[in-house]
Amino acid sequence: MTPTGRAGPAVELRNASRWYGNVVAVNDISFALGPGVTGLLGPNGAGKSTLLHLVAGLLRPSAGAVLVGGRSTWRNPSVYRSIGLVPEREAVHPYLSGYEFVRYNARLQGLPDPAGAAARAIATVDLGEVQHRPIGTYSKGMRQRVKIAGALVHDPPVLLLDEPFNGMDPRQRLHMIELLRAMAVEGRTILFSSHILEEVERLAQEVLVIYAGRLAASGDFREIRRLMTDRPHTFTVRSSDDRRLAAALVAEGSVFGVELADGLLSVRSSDFAAFTRALPRIARDLGVTLFELHPADESLESVFAYLVRR
Amino acid sequence: MIRAIVGVTARGVLGRRRSLVVVLFAALPVLVALVVRAGGSTGDAVSLSADLLDALVVRTVLPLVALVFGTAVLGSELDDGTAIHLLVKPVERWRIVLAKLVVAAVLTVGLAAAVTLVAGLVVGAGRGAERLVVASTVAVAVGGVVYAALFLALSLVTSRALIVGLGYVLVWEGALGGLLEGTQAFSVRQYTLAIARLLAGGDGQAINVTLDPSTAIVLSAIVLAGAFGLAVRRLATYEIHGTA
Repeated sequence: MTPTGRAGPAVELRNASRWYGNVVAVNDISFALGPGVTGLLGPNGAGKSTLLHLVAGLLRPSAGAVLVGGRSTWRNPSVYRSIGLVPEREAVHPYLSGYEFVRYNARLQGLPDPAGAAARAIATVDLGEVQHRPIGTYSKGMRQRVKIAGALVHDPPVLLLDEPFNGMDPRQRLHMIELLRAMAVEGRTILFSSHILEEVERLAQEVLVIYAGRLAASGDFREIRRLMTDRPHTFTVRSSDDRRLAAALVAEGSVFGVELADGLLSVRSSDFAAFTRALPRIARDLGVTLFELHPADESLESVFAYLVRR
Repeated sequence: MIRAIVGVTARGVLGRRRSLVVVLFAALPVLVALVVRAGGSTGDAVSLSADLLDALVVRTVLPLVALVFGTAVLGSELDDGTAIHLLVKPVERWRIVLAKLVVAAVLTVGLAAAVTLVAGLVVGAGRGAERLVVASTVAVAVGGVVYAALFLALSLVTSRALIVGLGYVLVWEGALGGLLEGTQAFSVRQYTLAIARLLAGGDGQAINVTLDPSTAIVLSAIVLAGAFGLAVRRLATYEIHGTA
């Protein structure tokens, strides 16, 4: 994916695998990430958390190499100066206040001014008002944010987040998306997993799709979608005369299915480009006015579902 | 860095309900000593003190307090998932184990040695048993450190460290220790008693132990170093598994 030039990729997997006995959790995955936001997608049990834990050095790769900044992450604690990890589990010391927890992280990082770094990280995630309350009294969203503050406190170039939006309300999600975007613009490499596809679409320039432990696809998700020429595309069309338009579309070579049901015209095409060129021409020839053309299956979810089925 | 880990660990361990129960349990020998003293026992105070400290502190309070604190300092964080915040930091694993051991040892020694001193003095003060009591207190402190290291390492070997540790104390040191002399070579209880006997001088004859004191000191050092090394090794290769 995105190279980082001279210094090499910030995160790199080379034929990395991880298995438990006969069960393969991550199967021969290779990729390289540079600055920017990358979304990690896959159904439950696909291996997303295993992959993130491999990158974070919390799991030993059964085969291959997992590198951050060119250094192996397994059994190499010094690499954590470059990594911030936000784990999926909510577990945070309930008896510490948010401020104490973040300062604890800063002290473990050996920062020269742990108190100042903690205050800045707390402000970044907008937890200032509750920073002195015990974490045990925090809502799920607040816990999520305090974990993010703990992961950000040493200003790491690589940030790994496992389902970071869990428990956040819409305002907090928006704030977090803006924060992560800004961090990516500053040159950080951010890899996050999420099952909330709209947020992946809004946040990630790149996606890694993982299914059954294998990397099903990687790259810009819209480009991935375009490249799937063997996949039918479904469009919904609204026009001044759907019935006449449907009859004409049946004769069009790029169309292989037309359905008119509940006042909605659905067209299935095997060739995205040819169909989108043909439709205006056919409508003009018929004297039919097109009101709306909507790709019904352009969501990341449909892309992902297709990749999973392949 | 070690201070930060010590501080957070101590707060976590002391905040657990189990720790409060342990403190109450540890007070038991003092209560028994008060009852014995109030009862006006007229026997040999040295033998009485030795028996009481052996039965109530060395056999029970010391290993059980060490078991609770030794397995809690790191094992509970691994169980509840909070250890991940510590493990993803640029901290050498030996520093983490050392910090955890300091907490477990200080809490164990602080509690068990205090109980030994107070209970021993309640029974033996002013009756010629002072040297034995002080010797037992020092020996309990040494035994507390070794036990704490052993149980800390155990918490990194098995998720059922409390049960396995209890089995070690009750079966290996308790039942088998009295039947098979060979088991005493790997019994922290025997090390503790042998060191107490050495330090108590002539009064040490009242302590029932067959292990040679020099052997006990050497074995204590070996077990302490071995447990520390094992814990560091286990933590360095500790894996945290993903959920999906």
